[in-house]
Amino acid sequence: MTDNNSRPGFFRRIWNWFWTPTAVLSAGFVLIIGFLAGILFWGGFHWSMEMTNTEEFCTGCHTMETNLGEYRETVHYNNHSGVRAICSDCHVPKEWNHKVKAKVMAVKDVYHELMGTIDTKEKYEDHRLKMASQTWKKMKQSDSRECRNCHNFEYMDFTIQETRAAKEHQRAIDNNMTCIDCHQGIAHRLPEGYLDEYKRVVDELAMEEAPKPLETASADTDTVRSYLKQSTQKTSGD
Amino acid sequence: MLNLLGTIAGNILSLPGILGLALGMTTRNLLLASIMGAIVGFAETLIFAGFDMSNVEMLELVISMGVGLLAGALGCAIRIKGTTV
Ligand code: HEC
Ligand code: HEC
Ligand code: HEC
Repeated sequence: MTDNNSRPGFFRRIWNWFWTPTAVLSAGFVLIIGFLAGILFWGGFHWSMEMTNTEEFCTGCHTMETNLGEYRETVHYNNHSGVRAICSDCHVPKEWNHKVKAKVMAVKDVYHELMGTIDTKEKYEDHRLKMASQTWKKMKQSDSRECRNCHNFEYMDFTIQETRAAKEHQRAIDNNMTCIDCHQGIAHRLPEGYLDEYKRVVDELAMEEAPKPLETASADTDTVRSYLKQSTQKTSGD
Repeated sequence: MLNLLGTIAGNILSLPGILGLALGMTTRNLLLASIMGAIVGFAETLIFAGFDMSNVEMLELVISMGVGLLAGALGCAIRIKGTTV
């Protein structure tokens, strides 16, 4: 390339260099460099992601102080065994793609911290029902996946639970209920009218999911047949 | 809206985006590359739904197949631009 007036711009030259086949590096050399760079990049990426999962990070924002205080009075913060659940254990999924999604969505938290949407006690309480309801929706949708990372009905010894708990948990298994159906407010104070709002969330989800059985039914003749049989039985039974 | 962006980002950073790109880079055939990417997207959604079609969210399936398809196509473009074979 000559240094004449036709010399391309800076970025153009970088671009061209980037795509020019190398004559000095072997394919193996490039592969090994790429492999190492990949490990470093991925490790660094993962590490910084985990940094945002610590209790200090979550409560570093002024707006999360209310929740922190409430959570500090619960069994998940302080208990006889010293095993704890921190914010991210309940609020950030462990599965990689769900986790990335949760992290991207949490960008809105930064925005609202900057805007001061919930920066006073009063404003917080004004928004609490709405925020709680979003959390319930996620938990109900995921069948309380985050609780189940630590708790599992299968390993609960109902004989050493309180009678009320054991009875309710048996009912929960029988009726396919999920933890959040009964354990709202497990870590934070509940706003007024939470039961009505929770019911609304559940109804709304049921509405959204209603068309689903029909969709799958159309893909599978056996289900269609048994579905039809059921509905004819129902009408003839009437 | 945030939900959508989150789903897209989640897919770019997991199998459809990364394996899709890698598979795309194995061929100079744009159609083949896109199809392979889309298959990865489809497979991932199915795996996460526990191989039960009734658990598959339509929107999620479409997004992950779309991301896979684009990643495959990008991989193919990289192959064409960056290699002589
Ligand atoms: C990181 C693990 C972890 C996660 C996630 C978790 N828990 Fe727990 N939970 C514990 C531990 C540990 C205890 C028992 C503490 C003790 O008594 O030693 C506990 C105790 C409890 C108790 C008993 C409370 C009491 O007063 O005795 C309930 C109810 C409960 N958890 C519900 C939930 C629900 C609902 C969720 C999901 C929103 C959840 N947990 C998520 C670890 C977890
Ligand atoms: C049908 C309602 C219901 C559902 C659903 C439910 N629980 Fe409970 N659970 C209760 C009740 C009621 C108690 C007793 C609480 C009390 O006495 O304060 C309880 C108590 C507990 C305790 C404390 C038990 C003890 O004796 O120390 C834990 C831990 C717990 N639940 C975890 C869970 C988890 C995890 C899930 C989801 C997998 C779940 N629960 C689902 C109603 C329910
Ligand atoms: C044991 C599980 C658990 C832990 C630990 C936990 N949360 Fe929550 N969080 C919930 C649940 C369940 C809700 C849904 C509302 C409810 O039922 O109280 C919620 C709701 C919220 C909300 C919505 C507003 C509200 O008050 O309801 C915010 C914000 C929040 N959590 C922040 C935090 C922060 C910050 C921490 C750590 C200091 C934390 N959470 C720890 C389970 C948990």
